[in-house]
Amino acid sequence: MIISRRDLIKTSLAAGTAASMPSIIRAQTAPTATRTVRVVKSGDLRVFDPIFTTAGISAEHGLAIYDTLFSLDSKLTPQPQMVGKWSVSDDKKAYTFELRDGLGWHDGTPVTAADCVASIRRWAEVAPGGKLIMARAQDISKKDDKTFTIALKEPLGTLIDLLTGVATPFLFIMREKDATRPATEQVTANIGSGPFRFNEALAKPGASFTYDRNEKYVPRSETSDGFSGGKIVKVDRVIWENIANQQTAFAALRAGEIDYQENLSSDLYSAVESDPNLTLQLLDKSGYVQLLLMNSLQKPFNSVKARQAMLHLVDQEACSRINTPDPKYSSIVTSMFGNTLYSNDENTGWYKKGGDPEQAKQLFKESGYAGEKVVILQPTNFVGLSNVALFLAGALRKIGINAEVAPSDWGGVITRRSNRGPVETGGWSIIVTSVTGATLAEPLTTPWLTAEGDKGFTGWARNDEYEALRAQWGDTATLAERQALARKMQRVWWDFAPQVVLGQGVYPIARRKALTGLIGMPIALPMWNMQKA
Amino acid sequence: MTAYILRRILSTIAVMAMVGIFIFLLLRLSPGDPAAIMAGDAATPQMIAGIREQLGLNDPLPVQFLHWAVGILGGDFGGSIFTARPVLLLISQRLEPTISLSLLTMIVSVVTGVVFGMLAAWRVGGVFDRTLAAFAALGFSVPVFVVGYFLIYWFAISAHWLPVQGYQPIEHGLRLWLVHLILPTAALSFPYIAYFARITRASMLEVLSEDYMRTAAAKGASSYSMLFHHALKNAGVPILTVIGISFAHLISGVVVTETVFNIPGVGRLVVDAINNRDYPIIQGVLILASGLYVLVNLAVDLAYTLIDPRIRY
Repeated sequence: MIISRRDLIKTSLAAGTAASMPSIIRAQTAPTATRTVRVVKSGDLRVFDPIFTTAGISAEHGLAIYDTLFSLDSKLTPQPQMVGKWSVSDDKKAYTFELRDGLGWHDGTPVTAADCVASIRRWAEVAPGGKLIMARAQDISKKDDKTFTIALKEPLGTLIDLLTGVATPFLFIMREKDATRPATEQVTANIGSGPFRFNEALAKPGASFTYDRNEKYVPRSETSDGFSGGKIVKVDRVIWENIANQQTAFAALRAGEIDYQENLSSDLYSAVESDPNLTLQLLDKSGYVQLLLMNSLQKPFNSVKARQAMLHLVDQEACSRINTPDPKYSSIVTSMFGNTLYSNDENTGWYKKGGDPEQAKQLFKESGYAGEKVVILQPTNFVGLSNVALFLAGALRKIGINAEVAPSDWGGVITRRSNRGPVETGGWSIIVTSVTGATLAEPLTTPWLTAEGDKGFTGWARNDEYEALRAQWGDTATLAERQALARKMQRVWWDFAPQVVLGQGVYPIARRKALTGLIGMPIALPMWNMQKA
Repeated sequence: MTAYILRRILSTIAVMAMVGIFIFLLLRLSPGDPAAIMAGDAATPQMIAGIREQLGLNDPLPVQFLHWAVGILGGDFGGSIFTARPVLLLISQRLEPTISLSLLTMIVSVVTGVVFGMLAAWRVGGVFDRTLAAFAALGFSVPVFVVGYFLIYWFAISAHWLPVQGYQPIEHGLRLWLVHLILPTAALSFPYIAYFARITRASMLEVLSEDYMRTAAAKGASSYSMLFHHALKNAGVPILTVIGISFAHLISGVVVTETVFNIPGVGRLVVDAINNRDYPIIQGVLILASGLYVLVNLAVDLAYTLIDPRIRY
């Protein structure tokens, strides 16, 4: 068969048209560029179920597609969200919650009280706040389709705070059929009642996730305030692009291919500021607090003197410069509650600018330190923490401590940290980690503020006096009561020194100036209210 | 010939089985716990233990291996531990970008590299030959990611001619697909062009000094005929071998380019899976990659018979 040149051209044109047909169709149905916001988050969404995991990125996913009974406003005060009306009995033991009108799942069915009850029960399987509620609860049940009650055996002053808290996992309301699964079994249906719908067809794990505006969402009438108030969505679509390389993400931001970038390296701040189309914005003012955790079950940190030595040794200014080179974005933390409402100066006499190596050396000597190996886990894929680990090893060696680092990726670190044994059997001595600053205001739900010994969180420090004080937190009713209790707790805390603070950093995001209306809150970026010029 | 091909395909299955066992054991014996990673930084030990139990990670290793192996034999590669999406779906979503980038890179590299190598050999010691030597030195020594960043800066940020990053599937339109692949292809081709040019030049120089080339010239054959019909065909076997090996290396080695240009390919899928300890994905990709590697080598061996009629299997 002979194909003429004309036939070849005709065939090629036809093939080209056919190949581009889907894009023509898509162009007619996809939202326009100004109604689509492309963001690069600080991590990759790996787990969809925000109850199954404590990962912050999953909480952000949850915030988009699910709704909550209560939400925190910009002052971190709980406000009703799905709840329309609520009341508490005079003896403070019976709470009644009535859902507001217009709540519906993305699959078209209405949200009911049964969904809420099942969601609370599932959340309470894993969340410390939920466990506390269940321990006090006599009954949690629905009264009718829109009303449910929580009956308590004894009053719990912080009940509404616990239902609203910022410590992950958040209490997101799921469909009853999803919420009746065990909390250790992941829900992957991604059907919520929130202001965004998860676009399953466009989901590309590891590459991008697409969230479409939920046209049927009925926002509250109040003005948007933090996570609370009216969740009014002003764009049609938000796409989470997973660009692993920061330089590439920043180049894409400059070229206008994305609108928003988190986790920007501080050496790029000046480049953002010099670009007329870009700006830096500090959304999460509570930032992250870097902590040093010690293994209290093994030598040398099974001695309180050795732990106190670390409190004196650490030079917070130096650690902060390593983590957050621009001093404008970092601060010193001497309170166990970080820089939150409960921050106080009780028992902080150990703090000395630049650290006090001599005092640390003396305390190690008093602890009976006899040259035991101190292993610092070094998370190599987090540059700041990795460098802090190296710096700490150097500081320890300078005062005669036999310190070494054990490099590994973060996955290796969090696996090894569960090993309670001595370093010779794969255990560890020190871990450096980073926690959301706002969670330090929640001692009932934040694992880093517990001292339950070997039943507790990594580090396994135990102090019964502190735990007794912590247990009182649930029964406080006012801010003043909590602040007074916070001082008492801190007095004990720094005496038994279960951890050391390495400093606090806040991290601005970079965005194109055309993107406005971003709401600044800890942990998660609300995707409502934002708009593009 | 048919018996030879069948034998080779059977050996592919054996290789894949050995890779499967090796990878399974390596992953399970290396440090890292997917349950701890899934549960997140603030998870309690009880939460992690519950997830481990739910995922079957507490089962004895032989039981876990059996589950996986039986699934594979039935064509089921399992699901991602994290997203619960089928492994084959995840791989298929990532296959097109990697194959597109690899094929385009090979086409550009082979055409350019072989032509450059032939021209350098034809005028050995000339300006072009010396320029090519300098280019090859640069191609071997400058890392792909450095070339990538330069290209992004010049062509995407400064000139705004091409996109910085991303990938558009071919079904979104040929133009979009090609536009997103120009810079990554250029960056990735750089060392391969240098490599193929040097191999072709060396191979051609050897052939060009043969008696039959002098005879062809004496018979009045044109330069084109001498180069393409007489020399290239005889110099082809070593060039083809190098191209085959490079293609297999290329597919497994595009991860840096995929990262720099944010191309959601198989390389990044594996790297993310390794960071997450998402065992089913790592196992699935490596099993398929080992099969592909063997098949590419088989294709190269078969192609020898087309170039050199003396080769028989």
